[in-house]
Amino acid sequence: MAKDSNNKNLLTLENIESGYGKVKVLHNVSLKIKEGQIVTIVGANGVGKSTTIKTILGLIKPSSGQIKFKNELINSLETYKIIAKGIGYSPEGREVFGNLNVYENLRIGAYTVSKDDFTKRLEEVYQLFPRLKERKNQEASSLSGGEQQMLAIARALMQDPDLLILDEPSLGLAPIIAEEIFNRLAEINQMGTTILLIEQNVNLALHLSDHAYVMEKGKFVLDEKASILAQNDYVKKTYMGIA
Amino acid sequence: MDLTYIFQQVLNALSLGSMLALLAVGYTMIYGVLGLINFAHGEVFMIGAFTAMYAITGLGFPLPIALILAIIASVLAGVLLERFCYRPVQGSGDITLFITSLAASIGIRSLFVMLFGSRSMQFPMPKYLQGIRFWGDILITDLNLIIFVFTVIITLILSFFIKNTKLGIAMRGVSYNKQTAEAMGINSTSIIVATFVIGSALAAVAGVAWGLQYGNVRPAMGYHPGISGFIAAVLGGIGNISGAAISGFLLGVGQVLFVAFLPSVYSGFRPLFVWIVLFIILFYKPTGLFRSNIKWE
Repeated sequence: MAKDSNNKNLLTLENIESGYGKVKVLHNVSLKIKEGQIVTIVGANGVGKSTTIKTILGLIKPSSGQIKFKNELINSLETYKIIAKGIGYSPEGREVFGNLNVYENLRIGAYTVSKDDFTKRLEEVYQLFPRLKERKNQEASSLSGGEQQMLAIARALMQDPDLLILDEPSLGLAPIIAEEIFNRLAEINQMGTTILLIEQNVNLALHLSDHAYVMEKGKFVLDEKASILAQNDYVKKTYMGIA
Repeated sequence: MDLTYIFQQVLNALSLGSMLALLAVGYTMIYGVLGLINFAHGEVFMIGAFTAMYAITGLGFPLPIALILAIIASVLAGVLLERFCYRPVQGSGDITLFITSLAASIGIRSLFVMLFGSRSMQFPMPKYLQGIRFWGDILITDLNLIIFVFTVIITLILSFFIKNTKLGIAMRGVSYNKQTAEAMGINSTSIIVATFVIGSALAAVAGVAWGLQYGNVRPAMGYHPGISGFIAAVLGGIGNISGAAISGFLLGVGQVLFVAFLPSVYSGFRPLFVWIVLFIILFYKPTGLFRSNIKWE
């Protein structure tokens, strides 16, 4: 694909070390996302995928290394400032605000933008997820798992981010719903949003992505075009259950 | 003991109920964003009352100006509390926050005893609030009525604000999940400060109302109303604003009726009422009277 060769880097991680207190989780992690790409990090539970995301978002501060977004160093910034630079985040477990209705959740997603942009963006997001429009006055806690995931993605899209980060969007969803979500992600990407995806459903993820990283024990062990990784025997055997 | 008597007692309790409602709303909002029972809230209330008293008797300002100064002083106290007492210990556990807020409460009260002595000081009431009206056999003071109406208006405006404005929605978001709110681009620290500003301003209004109603202020005046306001917040289902306001009114009315039905020698037992209520409620319904926790509406 043409889009992964010539475009500018949107996000780069260089030699990141990070973790919780004295427990180091990430060891010398480097990653590059170019504008327009869909990049996936695959890996088993507990290898540091979510820690990588949390470090990018400043929820955890890296102990060394550099994180650059749009060529600007962001590793010492506070989370809300990093988000305002143009990152949308759909957290693991969806984390919608259960006490707010769908509309209010989306209002919070657009916290960093003006009222006019919010109104315009709301229509676009409702078009992408018509189900959310039907349920706009419903409390988020009363939505189904799939609807909550759509809401989490819609909320992340509200500020029209340059980079959309999704942590396990298919987790706990019926396969048909997961596929619907992934179709939406492809649409979102075609409209120009770069995507960083963390996923355990390796088959779906590699199918969607341009580039993929395989993480094991806090390190990237493979870093390839997704189409090539999908043919890799080790990946097939370890992550896709194909011998 | 007839209906007129009971109705009269309920009317008498309107101002007390209003003050407790205003305090309970502050407790519940601050609990929502910080997970902290701010025991120093009663002292923020006292600071408001002292400021108004001093503005009227010391500086000769009219009541409306004194009220504004009281709000400024209480807001300042609330913001300083957040900045220098609660923010440094954030994330170090519930017990630490609990003890910090208790220490802040005792510290401020003791400071005021050192500065002003522990005796009551007179809080003057302007002439235009001293009116009385009769409805048949029932008597109501203008002050009682004004405090009640004022409180209802403030509570309605606040509910509208929390329900509909971007800042209000953000406050509810932060109270649900601070980390996720941050990851949506919300500066949760400034939301917490905004919550202290609103809660403290309400406490100031309650403090001035208290001074007007009872005619005096003293450093320990925040203790009982503070506890009652806290219990009203628990009753309302902590985090629930309208629940807190309604419970505040109910507690105020309940306190007055409780002593109204006892021989007058027991009038000193009024504060006992709130403890009995708390005990009964927590025994039967540990989550409070109204719907669910951390639910701002």
